[in-house]
Amino acid sequence: MSEPERLRTAAMDTALRPVIPNAVLGMLFFLGAEVMFFAGLISAFLVLRASVETWPPVDQPRLPVVAAAVNTFVLLLSAETMRRARAAIGRGRPDGLRRWLAVTTVLAVTFLVVQGMQWIRLLRDGLGATSGAYGATFYTLTGAHALHVLAGVGVLSAVLWQALRGRCSGEHHAAVEACGLYWFFVAGIWPLLYGLVYLS
Amino acid sequence: MSATGKGEASSVREHAAPEGFWRGCVFSVDHKTIGKQYLSLSLFMMVVGGLTAYLIRWQLAWPETAVPGMRWVPEPTMFEGVVPPEFYNALVTMHGTIMLFFVAMPFLLGAFGNFLIPLMVGAADMAFPRVNRLSFWTLFTASSLLLASFFVPGGAPAAGWTGYAPLSADAQYSGVDWGMNLWLLALALEFASFVMGGVNILTTAINMRAPGMTFFRLPLLVWMHLTAAVLFLLSVGPLVAGAVMLLLDRTIGTGFFVPARGGDPLLWQHLFWFFGHPEVYVILLPGFGIILEILPVFARKPIFGYRAIVYSTIAAGALSFIVWAHHMFVSGIDARLAMPFSVTTILISVPFVIMILAMIATLRGGAASYPTPMLFAVGALATFILGGVTGIFLGSAAVDIFLHDTYFVVAHFHYTLFPSVFLGGLAGLYYWFPKMFGRMMNETLGKIHFWITIVAFNCVFLPLFAAGMRGHMRRIYDPYQYEFLKPLQPIHAFATVAAIVLFLGQVPLIANFFWSLFAGRRAGENPWRANTLEWATSSPPPHGNFVEAPVVHRDPYEYSVPGAVEDWLPQHVPAGGTQETRRE
Amino acid sequence: MQKWFPENVSTFGGDIDSVFTLIYYIVGFWFLLTEGVLLYFVLRYRKRAGQPAKYVRGDRWSELAWLLVPAAIVLALDVGIEAAGGPVWARVKEQSPAGGVEVWVTGKQFNWDITYPGPDGHFETADDLTLLNEMHVPVGQNVHLVLRSKDVIHSFFLPHLRLKQDVLPGRSVTAWFNATKPGQYEIACAELCGFGHYNMRGVLTVHTTEDYGRWVQEHWPATTEASGATPAGS
Repeated sequence: MSEPERLRTAAMDTALRPVIPNAVLGMLFFLGAEVMFFAGLISAFLVLRASVETWPPVDQPRLPVVAAAVNTFVLLLSAETMRRARAAIGRGRPDGLRRWLAVTTVLAVTFLVVQGMQWIRLLRDGLGATSGAYGATFYTLTGAHALHVLAGVGVLSAVLWQALRGRCSGEHHAAVEACGLYWFFVAGIWPLLYGLVYLS
Repeated sequence: MSATGKGEASSVREHAAPEGFWRGCVFSVDHKTIGKQYLSLSLFMMVVGGLTAYLIRWQLAWPETAVPGMRWVPEPTMFEGVVPPEFYNALVTMHGTIMLFFVAMPFLLGAFGNFLIPLMVGAADMAFPRVNRLSFWTLFTASSLLLASFFVPGGAPAAGWTGYAPLSADAQYSGVDWGMNLWLLALALEFASFVMGGVNILTTAINMRAPGMTFFRLPLLVWMHLTAAVLFLLSVGPLVAGAVMLLLDRTIGTGFFVPARGGDPLLWQHLFWFFGHPEVYVILLPGFGIILEILPVFARKPIFGYRAIVYSTIAAGALSFIVWAHHMFVSGIDARLAMPFSVTTILISVPFVIMILAMIATLRGGAASYPTPMLFAVGALATFILGGVTGIFLGSAAVDIFLHDTYFVVAHFHYTLFPSVFLGGLAGLYYWFPKMFGRMMNETLGKIHFWITIVAFNCVFLPLFAAGMRGHMRRIYDPYQYEFLKPLQPIHAFATVAAIVLFLGQVPLIANFFWSLFAGRRAGENPWRANTLEWATSSPPPHGNFVEAPVVHRDPYEYSVPGAVEDWLPQHVPAGGTQETRRE
Repeated sequence: MQKWFPENVSTFGGDIDSVFTLIYYIVGFWFLLTEGVLLYFVLRYRKRAGQPAKYVRGDRWSELAWLLVPAAIVLALDVGIEAAGGPVWARVKEQSPAGGVEVWVTGKQFNWDITYPGPDGHFETADDLTLLNEMHVPVGQNVHLVLRSKDVIHSFFLPHLRLKQDVLPGRSVTAWFNATKPGQYEIACAELCGFGHYNMRGVLTVHTTEDYGRWVQEHWPATTEASGATPAGS
């Protein structure tokens, strides 16, 4: 290409308009790092599990598979309500946004409370983080996830607060989009963790 | 749509009232201020890292003698100026940790990345200015935690910057308790800081480019930072996971990496090196980016093979994820895994060959001048070549059986890291100092600094290749326990003297830096007659960077275009303007 | 350059040194070529009055050839290096020649326990012998090592045998060597293992066949004078 061909006026250039809002793009990159974090935990789990003959070990308490399955449903339900929140503001309905954000937050807190109760019961039954690879991986994987849910509750609350102050509209709701992406990640990775930790 | 996406004609704030200490410094969200803060932090940590090197080198040359100037260090850290074995291990650990995580990354990514990227893409600031602010204070906290480890009972971490378990997992093995915990916390915060930075850089460069700034008109420094950011974001997760697990092993007694408690020490190594290898390219590529910006400006011709460089960078970045076990050839992994990793490792030489040859080819046919930035840039290139080729020895699994954990490795990575971080970073400092501070640095002091630095550096590390070939192991407090290493004492003495010269050789830099800050010749907008957008605004730029949002009309390295009046054509000057065609 | 290496007394040491030498000449050539060209360009293409720089972007295939052809050559040379190194790695680390003596090595903070099976040829029996930092082997015979660690990761390094292998707690790793020349050779630890890492010095004594017989006699006096008198083992 010759030099004159390369020189184009501003009028001929398409002005570069972001296709994805900053907050959403930033969240996507952040989630990429988060996926790799969980990949690290999961690969540690798989490696340690491969070196143990019987899994679950015979002398360890059984995990509450059914209760955790119900809890999984609660979390997945919260992903659906988050989707509805997004859809509502997308249609320019801040009241729908607020309602569904609140429901999502309540479901998230429910998940955490149930998870916490399961932990307490397991600790009482003798499954500790120091009782071998089984306990260590259980608490680390579910604990890391729970911390992310807790952070998510914080994010949901912050966005809800923004929505209550009337800062979200049909055009400007990048924060809701970003929050939604985070929540889908947190809810979406849980079934994988559940399958690995509770069902194997 | 303007650069800020807000529909404003100018992103410079109307009322530029003078800001106080809190708003203008501590809480400033201006990427340029934050970049300078990263610069200060990294230069301070460089001094600390250099001090650790001084102690290490003295002990290697004249074991168990008092290090001059160090008698004030109290027992049991040091004994009347003499380094004991425990502190020696802490010194090598802190040297590596500080130089990689608290000098290289803040200097290249935090300082130059932050300062330059919004300017180079034509934006008013980073996409997330407050996250940027938080990222610096996170790193500052991390640095404080790390330095605090020198002062806690048990002292600083001493399991190497690689922190292999079980040595790192149980205080009974290393004698270090709180120091190791602080190390893990400091690293975790450092990672968090650079995750924030990486997200910021990627979002800014993708979303906030000025009109006309297509991806292939971006300065190559931006491409290097983008690749580095992707590498970092995708590789750091597993090590954060590992650090969490190691911290749990240490504090509550889990058994992730301790076999006695059901763990696997090799798991730590995999998690560490999966990050560790891409990490060295996270550091290397921004260093290359600086060289790539400087070469065309002073050769007065375009960079050779812009697209080839971009594609090679991406290829090298992708390959960097599948080479990690070349650090683990003799670690006890299944021997059949070695050759696949050896092959991928050696293949990485191909994209790097392309990048290096492109840089060299840029000089051909040029009309080059060699002020200090260009001296450092070419010096970095020349020095890196030796680092690059010595990697081939280590990539061959068979040869690595002998060379692993010897000084050959130490020499190799200093010959790759020092040119990119230090020589490249200094090239950048001399080059962008006028833009950052509005004044020129002194040329004479710069040249003296360059020649002392490059000669002294080679005198320190070239002999260490020979030491490695002799079989000299790493991290050895007193090599002369071994008959086969006794003949190497003169080499160590020579390297130590050269190291001291290297440290003293930085005095001209310090003097130059501070003198120029206050009394340097005032720099105009574009003292180097360069094309990229950072030179299209004042020195230093105002808050918001550009009084009028720039529009980009051409590629970044249009120097000596045939038929143009001047030998440079800034990216933002419209086609057919005075610079191109007007005859006086 | 060979003189920099410690004297090689290992049957596979020469192979490793040969791969090193091959790489040395290949990269040496490239190193001198690129540095030479760089230096030439620096000196030749300086700013001169009336001589502007050439506007060359390197985006034409004829120009890119200057990057791609050398890269292709380097790729071919890389393949050659791997083809040379692969079989050597396999010989040292994947294969295990039959016959010879077996010795157990346990690294710990901060010395090496070297355990010999004794005349019965079996470990963990009454006639086992453990010495601190002393390895005794006969010349010209395969020595099979089972390597372990009691605590942290160490690395068993025999520079003159070109052998290095990390030792891990919780599992054992095997290695082998065959010494070609009697003498005393140092053992070092090549993985940071704590404050005594620098002090984990051992000595490998490679005995002539006769001397080895005598050493065995000394330590297990009840042994019968079988020819060769090497403890059975594999």
